[in-house]
Amino acid sequence: MSNRFVDQGLRAPVNVTWEVTLACNLRCRHCLSSSGIAAPNELTTAEALDLVEQFSRAGVFQINFGGGEPFIRPDFPQILDACHQRGIMTCISTNGTLLDQTLVERLAKSRLVAIQVSMDGADRKSCDLLRGDGTYETALKAVALLAKSSIPTSINTVLTAANAADIPELHNLARTLGVSLRVSRFRPSGRGAENWEELRPTPRQLLDFSQWLTASGDVRTGDSFFSLTSQERQGLGLNLCGAAKLTCCVGPEGKFYPCAFLQQDDFLAGSIREQSLQQIWDESPMYESFRRLRIHSCEECQRFDQCHGGCPAVAWHLKGRIDGGDPECLENCVTMADA
Amino acid sequence: MVSLQQACRVRKERFGLLFYDCRGPRLLFAETGDLLEPGFFTGEVSVAETLERLTQAEQRKVAGLLSNLAKKGFIREQQIC
Repeated sequence: MSNRFVDQGLRAPVNVTWEVTLACNLRCRHCLSSSGIAAPNELTTAEALDLVEQFSRAGVFQINFGGGEPFIRPDFPQILDACHQRGIMTCISTNGTLLDQTLVERLAKSRLVAIQVSMDGADRKSCDLLRGDGTYETALKAVALLAKSSIPTSINTVLTAANAADIPELHNLARTLGVSLRVSRFRPSGRGAENWEELRPTPRQLLDFSQWLTASGDVRTGDSFFSLTSQERQGLGLNLCGAAKLTCCVGPEGKFYPCAFLQQDDFLAGSIREQSLQQIWDESPMYESFRRLRIHSCEECQRFDQCHGGCPAVAWHLKGRIDGGDPECLENCVTMADA
Repeated sequence: MVSLQQACRVRKERFGLLFYDCRGPRLLFAETGDLLEPGFFTGEVSVAETLERLTQAEQRKVAGLLSNLAKKGFIREQQIC
């Protein structure tokens, strides 16, 4: 992130990804965190509520909840309430299986929540292939329920080789339902690493998607990676890698990492059971190393000013080092697709 | 009256104020130093009293910031200076 204010160091993260549980009732093939069974020592309710208080004191604007399936935690509504009482905005990534009318009505009252329902195909066949039998219908019902509420809702799709052709149809589906579409990048972490070779989009698919994205202004993505030009990137909001500079991730057991795709011991920044949020943010050598990170191998590239080397997490998963440049870079895709 | 949009938040940083709009999300970095407190935008600090203690040059800077914030949709309305 090239921004002199960010380079000076912010007092706290702008937003935090909080994976409140590893438990999940689905086993999606591209899951970034291999969710399924709850982690052995997940934060207690009291610990989670104390963490919310620390986020509030630090000035964190927004918490993006994920997992696992966050609604599996019985105390999740309580955690949400604690956030909303402190004015913290929340965004929940869910598979939609546990949403019902009562829960939606309760969530809508806060006016501080947005929900992303994961759906990875425009029809039963393609979605269920990635997420499991029956997931398409369930997600569709959840989105329809949310669309009737005041909750800002989006369908969240991870772009893979299996669903790249479905994206325009998913866009149509989202429009028909009255919600937005958000497309995220597939990364080789968690179960996504096990299925990487099969599910990674081809260079041609990435380029085609990039062009389609440019022409589809209302489709959202947090991944500046998808854009070929600096002008396109400027429309993406918080673009480039903000890990440890603007954002960070906390796992189910209260361990802090630079981002959700680097939840490995190698990248542990600290534990909320041993240090405060403020101490971890201010003093973690891991976070400091990310703030100093420069991708020198990409500096000669004509697009360096726009991407600064891409996603360090993808570089680490595929090349074993965070400073190696993003091997999936679209500049490379142009070369590969033309070859 | 200065009022943040419902989807927006503000906090103090070393350089001044950091504004956040969750609808993007978008950030706005305001290099205001110690000129303004976040409470100026949330009703916790009196707008009139704050402006009273500012020099004319500082008031112009604040007016420029408010105009920019309004244009970019961070605040609902402004009536100042």
